[in-house]
Amino acid sequence: MRLSIAWLTVVLLPLPAISGPAEDHFENTIRPVLAQNCQKCHSDKKQQGGLRLDSREALLKGGDTGPALVPGKPDDSLLIKAIRHTGDLKMPSSKMLPAEQIAHLERWVRDGAVWPGPAASLPGGNVMAFGKDLWSLQPVRQPSLPVVQNAGWPKTAIDRFILARLEKEGLAPVGDADKRTLIRRATLDLTGLPPTPGEIADYLSDNSPDAFARVIDRLLASPRYGERWGRHWLDVARYADTAGDGADYPTPEAYRYRDWVIDAVQADMTYDQFIRLQIAGDLLTNPQSTDYASGVTATGFLAVGKRYGYAPNGDFQHLDIADVIESVGRSVLGLSLGCARCHDHKYDPISIRDYYALYGIFQSTQMSFPGGEEHKRPANLAPLVSPSEARRLDDEQTRQFAAIRSEVEKLQALRAQLDGSEWAGGPDLGFEGQASGQPPAKPWLSQGPNTVIPDAQSPFTHIHPAGKQGVRMAASVPHDGIRMVLPRPMRKQSGAKMHLAIDFRTLAEPKEPGACRFYFGRGVIESTAIDFSISTNQFAIRQADGWKVLRTIEPGVWHSLAVTLDPESGTIHGVVGKPGDLTTIQGTIQSTWDGVIDTFICDGLGHLPGRVCTHDLDNIAISQQPLGKFGGPTVSRPPPLPDAKDRIAQVDATLAGLKKKQDGLANRKPYPMAYAVAEGKPTNAKIQLRGEPDKLSDEVSRRFLEILGGHKVSSGSGRKEMALWLTDKQNPFTARVMVNRIWQWHFGRGLVATASDFGTRGEAPSHPELLDHLANQLVNSGWSIKAMHKALMLSRVYQLAADPSPDQQAKDPTNRLWGHFQRRPLDAESLRDQMLFVSGTLDLSRPGRHPFPAEETWGFTIHNPFHAVYESNHRSVYLMSQRNRRHPYLALFDGADPNLSSAGRLPTTTPTQALYLMNSPQVHQQAGAFAKRLLAVPGDSPSRLRLAMEMTTGHPPGPDGEREALAFLEQSRQKLAAQAGNNPDTDLQAWTGLCRVLLVSNAAMHIE
Amino acid sequence: MWTSRPSRRQAIRSMVAGSPLMAGILQPLLARGGTATGDALAPRSPPSTPKAKRVIFLFMTGGVSHVDTFDPKPRLTSDVGKEVKLDHPEIKDRPGYERIFLKKPQWTFRPDSVTGIEVSDLFPHVRGCMSDIALIRSMHTDHSNHYNATLGMHTGSFAFARPSIGAWVSYGLGTENNNLPSFVVIAPAQTYAGTQVYASDFLPGAHQGTLVVPGAEPVANVRPALPTNQQLAQLKALQKLDGRHLQARGDDPALAARIRSFQTAFGMQMAVPEAFDLTRETDGTLNLYGLGRGQTSGFGWQCLVARRLVERGVRFVELIDTGSSGNWDSHGDMMDHERLARNVDRPIAGLLRDLKNRGMLDDTLVVWTTEFGRTPFNNTADAKGREHHNWAFSSWLAGAGVKRGTAYGATDEYGMRAQDNKVHIHDFHATILHLMGFDHERLTYRHAGRDYRLTDVAGETVRGVLA
Repeated sequence: MRLSIAWLTVVLLPLPAISGPAEDHFENTIRPVLAQNCQKCHSDKKQQGGLRLDSREALLKGGDTGPALVPGKPDDSLLIKAIRHTGDLKMPSSKMLPAEQIAHLERWVRDGAVWPGPAASLPGGNVMAFGKDLWSLQPVRQPSLPVVQNAGWPKTAIDRFILARLEKEGLAPVGDADKRTLIRRATLDLTGLPPTPGEIADYLSDNSPDAFARVIDRLLASPRYGERWGRHWLDVARYADTAGDGADYPTPEAYRYRDWVIDAVQADMTYDQFIRLQIAGDLLTNPQSTDYASGVTATGFLAVGKRYGYAPNGDFQHLDIADVIESVGRSVLGLSLGCARCHDHKYDPISIRDYYALYGIFQSTQMSFPGGEEHKRPANLAPLVSPSEARRLDDEQTRQFAAIRSEVEKLQALRAQLDGSEWAGGPDLGFEGQASGQPPAKPWLSQGPNTVIPDAQSPFTHIHPAGKQGVRMAASVPHDGIRMVLPRPMRKQSGAKMHLAIDFRTLAEPKEPGACRFYFGRGVIESTAIDFSISTNQFAIRQADGWKVLRTIEPGVWHSLAVTLDPESGTIHGVVGKPGDLTTIQGTIQSTWDGVIDTFICDGLGHLPGRVCTHDLDNIAISQQPLGKFGGPTVSRPPPLPDAKDRIAQVDATLAGLKKKQDGLANRKPYPMAYAVAEGKPTNAKIQLRGEPDKLSDEVSRRFLEILGGHKVSSGSGRKEMALWLTDKQNPFTARVMVNRIWQWHFGRGLVATASDFGTRGEAPSHPELLDHLANQLVNSGWSIKAMHKALMLSRVYQLAADPSPDQQAKDPTNRLWGHFQRRPLDAESLRDQMLFVSGTLDLSRPGRHPFPAEETWGFTIHNPFHAVYESNHRSVYLMSQRNRRHPYLALFDGADPNLSSAGRLPTTTPTQALYLMNSPQVHQQAGAFAKRLLAVPGDSPSRLRLAMEMTTGHPPGPDGEREALAFLEQSRQKLAAQAGNNPDTDLQAWTGLCRVLLVSNAAMHIE
Repeated sequence: MWTSRPSRRQAIRSMVAGSPLMAGILQPLLARGGTATGDALAPRSPPSTPKAKRVIFLFMTGGVSHVDTFDPKPRLTSDVGKEVKLDHPEIKDRPGYERIFLKKPQWTFRPDSVTGIEVSDLFPHVRGCMSDIALIRSMHTDHSNHYNATLGMHTGSFAFARPSIGAWVSYGLGTENNNLPSFVVIAPAQTYAGTQVYASDFLPGAHQGTLVVPGAEPVANVRPALPTNQQLAQLKALQKLDGRHLQARGDDPALAARIRSFQTAFGMQMAVPEAFDLTRETDGTLNLYGLGRGQTSGFGWQCLVARRLVERGVRFVELIDTGSSGNWDSHGDMMDHERLARNVDRPIAGLLRDLKNRGMLDDTLVVWTTEFGRTPFNNTADAKGREHHNWAFSSWLAGAGVKRGTAYGATDEYGMRAQDNKVHIHDFHATILHLMGFDHERLTYRHAGRDYRLTDVAGETVRGVLA
């Protein structure tokens, strides 16, 4: 109701009032006061006191004495204080403003200081004034049925509109199409497949008046209908299976939206609901209901466009949003809203403010991210279960994951015991296995002058057995060092302690000021448990308040450090020193530690800055088993268990199974996801000058287009309300645009030839009354598309023959008046599907997701983009459609360009298409299958020929055609036999040749 | 003959004639009266003796800046930053463009040593060819939108779908090689006006440009799938079937175009691989185009293939250098022009030299153009880019019938408006048609009750660029 009132305002007033009371107040009273009294000294030319008073932003920013404006608080606003002349600051300084003007300004600030219209740098908004006479903006009328002279001709109201116009031009329609032509026309039209000979025969023998209506009903009920007409909408929706940035990432979940469209069309979902769900299905369905998944999937409409950006962040988001606004505008409203991105629309009454009002709605919407150069995985996919269920399943999965992990770690510990890799000092971090004279190699990482040498062997044997070498880390810069990640992490467990040890010695020469650090914790400094540090002659430990030097150390002498961590109390205790000279360590673990130690690092970032002295390390231990004590017995390797080998094999097998399960869980959400949208953080957008997101101007409230009422968003992103506004019955575009599309898809061209441009640059309707008549009919039928099919197809206009009369050729050569049916080539999908269908190889099942490579393997970049063509015998609507590199077949036969909402196909006829029809393996395969199929049917050549002709063209051959075809077959057989001897395949090959001819004949390739 | 095609039937008859494959259709058509006027694509002589027998049309997508390439404006440099007031379509009501300032060219202009014509350092190789070129510095067009201007430069119409200039030339002259299309477009990507820039629209479909996308297999499915005799037998059967179908349907030109497409395709199977096979080109020739051996893409490849195609009788070859993205539309930064010029400069000069060496430049017309120029100003003096500018730009003609070594027309002191000897795109088209031997007012086609022509209702041949 609100819409209709606003609507009348727009239409009836010569200069539409497009703004609310606050805006009016500003324009009529505030702006003039500021302009006349303040801006001479405070605007772009002059900024006295550093202050400008020519935009809201400038007032808020203020000048040298602070902000000039506190919206809602006149008493706190410097501007008001100044004009009151009550304090030190008196403005204007020359004279006091009239009391009335002061009151206005006070009221304005109290009301929030609304400053409509773009900043001073934007043009004054008279954009709405022109274009208001645009035909498509006028309300849909209820035209009366025109009177026609040939009253017996019309079958339906549609016919009267068409005939009246033809009569006006002195033209008559041609005769009706024959029944064979008509059923082929209707069948290809509604299902994208030709009628079978059986269906043709049924129709020919049905002489009842509603025979054709029954054919239509049958076709509308066929699952093939949804695939055909769903494809039409997918053109408009710019559907593709890849994202279209330079790397063209696949969008494996997009197929759900494709299937949703097909199902919705098949079910004759009312068109208003069809649109609403695509805009806000996630918000218009109850998350707990069974419709929710479908509602979320429908919003794929917004997400499936050409996408920009390399990571799921705000970069390039403005281009994604631009695509969405343009697509919604063109598809639903037939308006090129995108033109208002950089400036007010040059031709249509759409302002830049309109644009950014809608922009805010989509900026408040989170779109699934397809994957990109910087973040090579999808993100923000939309769960197809309710948020609470998603949380529950996520938690459940986390629990499962943790359980598996804990089991894996137990088994790893067991394996370490069995294989002898973990004993005494824990996992063998020593250097015994390393090549002497080399830097430490795997599992170590080394950077800098580090060498494994015999000279660095520790003399101590109470933790690890006596070895032959350690590592020498020569004097170096602080960021050099060595690092080791444990094969399995050591985790905090109830009652369990952790034991760490290391033997070290420093060398006095060369003298260096710095210190080296021993780090124990998770990851590369991701979570520190404890840090120690040694300089040439000091040992330190890092505590909450910084490094603490614990003792001196003697250069050239081996020392040993052994500590025990108690994760539960957060304390650490142990000793450091040399035999007979031990210092006790008492301290606390880092409070931020997360309970995991899986990494040891020794680098130069110790307690003193500067280059680090040369030092040796050996006998590093990290263990949950207590370590040997200083002065205790020498450790030796325990003997291997007798059955260790078998048990290891068992453990490994179990581990492999668990690992697989773990990977499976890690890479998969426990519920299905859609490539769609969800609510983001509600936020208004600022106008982007010239469409550049870093040149921001005024903020615009989220709202609908001014010409359609300009309603404001009350809460959330506004998608929910937008869905309703778009489908309001008073909106003059939505129904008109859709009936025009349906007309175009049936008749080859719309009543408005520019089906996605109902603006001033588009073409005006050839039959405006008919367009309105149909728009009303669509709304009155409860937005039923199927009812519209029936209305159009039962008209006599639809059933006319396809060739023009000489009169029509002369006076209406482009058939704008619909005096005859417009012959047209089959579109890419129908041509391919027909070939597969008649050859019996069409797979009518629904294929589901495309066989894209697994997400874990994705590494696509602009230099190495995703590209694939998947072989398939499914209907063409299910072909994987790539954005950047078009599917070669679809591109060749003028399939929809998925980079933009597509208003219609532009068929071409080229020799390169003929080359495909002559030489491609696909056509040859289908011809072969078709021939086999025919030969499997009992009968002679003439009966098979008749069957083949009916299957491909809907018509049996005429006498000349039959004679020629049979002669061709015979000659082919003879030639083939002469070449190949007694090849039993001769007959098949001859038929294959004939089938190839039939499949690519003009009769088969056109709908008429 | 050049004024109209009065009947649909006559058009069809002409289209399907002239091929061994066409007998099945031709005979019944002839039996219904009249004689065949010949193949629509059969070579024909135009009304007056042509200077050029073929055209290579080089289209730079996105709008090349004239003041940075072929139109030196020292005053832009001396007056850089000066504010100007203009009623320009690109700044009208445009936020942020309340004030505009002159912006200086970023490249140095130098005279060509022979002609003295100044060209900037963006085109050093083309500069060396100025003695074969008639440069037009006073081009102007009606629209500053890419789509409209691109359409205008190709079809003479700024809004509606009309036949492109290549289709008109094909319609007027046919092809000298029945096994190749008369009109070939080699483009890595589509321009802003998509397929409309090479569409035949209401002209018979045979005149539509055939798109070739650079790559290892520029024309897919060109290898015959069957032995020739089998394929020929099948195609004959197809043509009989389609011929009867066509007769029963009032000779619908769309159906006839499909029939014709098979004929061309048949010939292309032999002719295309040969035409695109660069292995027999010498190193010297490849080097002229800056082309590596085995390379199958890049503008050099496009240029060399263009020479081979016109050599083999293709009437009109259009080369599109980029596409609707990554092109000369340097709003953001004029330095983009450097990359784009480097991509085409040497290949273009190589093409001109190669044609000349072979004596082909005497009857081949090479056209270089773009859809519009770029503004000599921007909204700040230090803006890096330039905006669309339809008031003035530069194009050139080279070769057959052209007054070589001339610079024709001039813009004002800032390159703002074409001033002396202005050349509208209709004039440009009229001149090209004139060089092909046509009066642009008489090369027409009757469609929808009206005689259409490439130059709409305007255009004058630019005598000053004719030899």
